[in-house]
Amino acid sequence: MSVYAVNKLCRDALHDRGFREALKSDPAAAMAPLDLAEDERRALLQGDVAWLFEHGCHPFLLAYLTRWDLFGLTAPVYSERIRKARDPRDETAA
Amino acid sequence: MAEIVAAFGVPHAPAFPALVAREGPNCEVARLYAEVAKHVAAVAPDVLVVFDSDHFNTFFFDNLPTFLVGVTEATEGPNDQTPMPHYRVRGHAPLAGHLRGSGLARGFDLSLSQDFDVDHSIMVPLHFLTPQMNIPIVPIFINGLAPPLPGARRCYALGEMVRAAIKDWPERMRVAVLASGSFSLEIGGPKIPHGERAGTPDEAWARRVQQLMQQGKVNDLLEEATAVRMARAGNIGGELLNWIAMLGTIGERRPRFIEPQVDHGHSYGAWRWD
Repeated sequence: MSVYAVNKLCRDALHDRGFREALKSDPAAAMAPLDLAEDERRALLQGDVAWLFEHGCHPFLLAYLTRWDLFGLTAPVYSERIRKARDPRDETAA
Repeated sequence: MAEIVAAFGVPHAPAFPALVAREGPNCEVARLYAEVAKHVAAVAPDVLVVFDSDHFNTFFFDNLPTFLVGVTEATEGPNDQTPMPHYRVRGHAPLAGHLRGSGLARGFDLSLSQDFDVDHSIMVPLHFLTPQMNIPIVPIFINGLAPPLPGARRCYALGEMVRAAIKDWPERMRVAVLASGSFSLEIGGPKIPHGERAGTPDEAWARRVQQLMQQGKVNDLLEEATAVRMARAGNIGGELLNWIAMLGTIGERRPRFIEPQVDHGHSYGAWRWD
């Protein structure tokens, strides 16, 4: 399980300008050296933030991706997708 | 001996410094920070103990403290690309070390950092409240963003411990306490509004929290601020724990000033008894 690597990718996109530029120009190549599971790599490339959220990635960090429209994630696209994610907070008893 | 002379609570939205620079001193955000800043200036504290939740900038999942005391002579920030001036502010290492030691002696296993910078969640409040950066800080970090979070009663007890430890400090010193954070805020999660990347999913909770604080009903707040309730108020709703820890340092006092920005899910408050 490498949720950690996805969270770290998001954080590095904010803090590391070189990595951010690499993600913009060739995301698959920029992610090649990272310790990501194959389904995480696929979800990132597809901008499937609902899947990433449902598998434990932190939404605060995922939302960084919209700052530079990484993986095609403009704010409206991101919003539309994440709002469809299964939200465990709505399933627990009050 | 040292004493706590006042306590404050404010939000720290990273957009606020630029917003106020753009809209000027009469906009609502500027006016509300200025009201709190007036109380800070009036009590003129020697030290500011700051309860804060880092946003994965100072600490990350490789080593994520639940409670951590920053014991340093100085820190700087913001370290997270927030569009605002970069500041350096002194710490108060002896008092910070004393608070940490007191915590360990009283059953709080507090982590330590002696070398760190800070993100917008500390620098935005200081930018508005003490822009000359002339009051040294003792930052106490509480995990308010990465569940499972510490409980409300535990955070309140942390504040009570800080109060007792400050009382034990041998030097004369006027200490104020600052809480940084929101009551209802969702960033990037399923509860954001259409087309946005952040929103306020639970204005009713933000209003409820503000009213309980206004009435000094701390026990009701501790009863109602369950993990489930805070999580439903948004994935950043755990920042309320900073305010709860702050209340632990002063007990069931009523604020001299508290005003909400309900649509933002947060409040601005000042507790004084001089």
